[in-house]
Amino acid sequence: MSMPGALRPTDDSDVVMSCRVRLARNVAGMPFVGRSTHPQRREALEAIRSACGTAEATGSLVAAAGATGPLAWVDMPSMPARDRQLLWERHLISRNFADGDSPRAVALTQDERFSMMVNEEDHLRVQVLRPGNALRAAFDAAMAVDAALAARLDFAFHPRLGYLTACPTNVGCGIRIGVMVHLRALRLTNELEKVKRAAKELHLAHRGFHGEGTDATGDWFQISNQRTLGIAESELLEVLAARVVPAIVNWEREARRALVERQRLLVEDRVHRGVALLQAARLLTLDEAMKQLSTVRLGVSTGLVGGPSLDTINRLTIEIQSAHLRAADPSIEGDDDERAARARIMRAAFGVA
Amino acid sequence: MAAPFRSCDHCGKPAVVHNTVIVNGKVIEHHLCEEHAAAVTGQPVGPVPINALLGQLAQVGAARARGPTCPSCGLTFHDFKSTGLLGCARCYDTFAATLVPVLERAHGGATQHVGRVPPAGDAAIKHRNEQLERLARELGAAVAAERYEEAARLRDMIHALRPQAPDAPGTGSAGAAPPRGSVP
Repeated sequence: MSMPGALRPTDDSDVVMSCRVRLARNVAGMPFVGRSTHPQRREALEAIRSACGTAEATGSLVAAAGATGPLAWVDMPSMPARDRQLLWERHLISRNFADGDSPRAVALTQDERFSMMVNEEDHLRVQVLRPGNALRAAFDAAMAVDAALAARLDFAFHPRLGYLTACPTNVGCGIRIGVMVHLRALRLTNELEKVKRAAKELHLAHRGFHGEGTDATGDWFQISNQRTLGIAESELLEVLAARVVPAIVNWEREARRALVERQRLLVEDRVHRGVALLQAARLLTLDEAMKQLSTVRLGVSTGLVGGPSLDTINRLTIEIQSAHLRAADPSIEGDDDERAARARIMRAAFGVA
Repeated sequence: MAAPFRSCDHCGKPAVVHNTVIVNGKVIEHHLCEEHAAAVTGQPVGPVPINALLGQLAQVGAARARGPTCPSCGLTFHDFKSTGLLGCARCYDTFAATLVPVLERAHGGATQHVGRVPPAGDAAIKHRNEQLERLARELGAAVAAERYEEAARLRDMIHALRPQAPDAPGTGSAGAAPPRGSVP
């Protein structure tokens, strides 16, 4: 690595946007969500909400998660469709959880570092989120949340199989430790295979921007553990935090450096075209915006162009999505309005009126 | 060292397929009867999408016509095969025979949890006390109705659940539940 010290990020945020630790748990003695009637789902929801919803319980959960309170409980069926989609776009709930009308709720802190889905595939899905590469901090917080929950709820647990989950691929630890990484250079240099091969060897999953079954919009990939049985949580953390994430971060930085050194003109051309397009466009589809933003992010992280900070670019990837645009501007009606609003946000972010 | 006869890892039938694999330096032996061998033949040890795993199991399912049905939640083998999801905690025992190869393939050969264990905390004690109360009510009803066999069974269950300390006052607050394990 020959990056000048001043440019080398200390938290890997040039490559890692965020990290998440998720837990799947079910309440003992109740059928899993998929086999539950609506009254049974309501019962599970009430059991969880009454165990976690008191001031004392909320305080200890939020403190364990390292988040800042209060913890807001939102009933999903009564939530407008646009707001449900907004939560999905922010990676706080899953697509399945956003749709449908069965009894379920989400609890989240304002800083989004801690959230829980009740009655997703499992009774309880906990998420601890941290910006940048802070896997160990997120992991410690998730373990503390688990302990706080276990003091209040009896979870379905099998002496041989561990925590029982609706899907057998989650049984055991019921944990997913993952990072969201930006691999623009590795895609440009056709080296993504390297990441996929390493992931496969180490029993890891690589997924797109919105998780399972989505494509890598804007060259964002989620890397997380796949195995949950026969391996301890702390071992899974070590595989990711000590081996995989540092390797991927280095490969991507190496690819960025190689591009700038060996194909500078080509990269500069792409990056400046990206900036110009985002500064000039009056209508932008999400796909086009994500694609150009990804190339510009490569330019910003390698110092080829100025422009918005990496933080701002990360924020834009969320804010230019449909429900976010509509929430910010209620006058938006059709797709053209949406594309126009997206282009306006981009021009403002790139300093053009 | 070779035993003349090995039974299947998943059921009591004689094993016809013997396989040794090395995962992360650990030697793992598989002994399978004809039926279970059919479910796992040709497997590379490693993560595979759940639907692919279940697709392979379809052959076993077809051979058996219909698999078991969970006595607790009513989930059938067919339900499990089509959704990939189990219905309740009991399902893990109901479908144990077909789940073992699924688990092995999804989790790199492992079938034994080695991670965190819930502490025997307040919730566990509360849950046990609720169970004890319910069983005591059922016992009273069984004795009143002169269903003595059922009463004897309930008495055994209560005995098994009750904390061992003989001086526990019955509220459960003094006699702690036996620890279910420790957090590593």
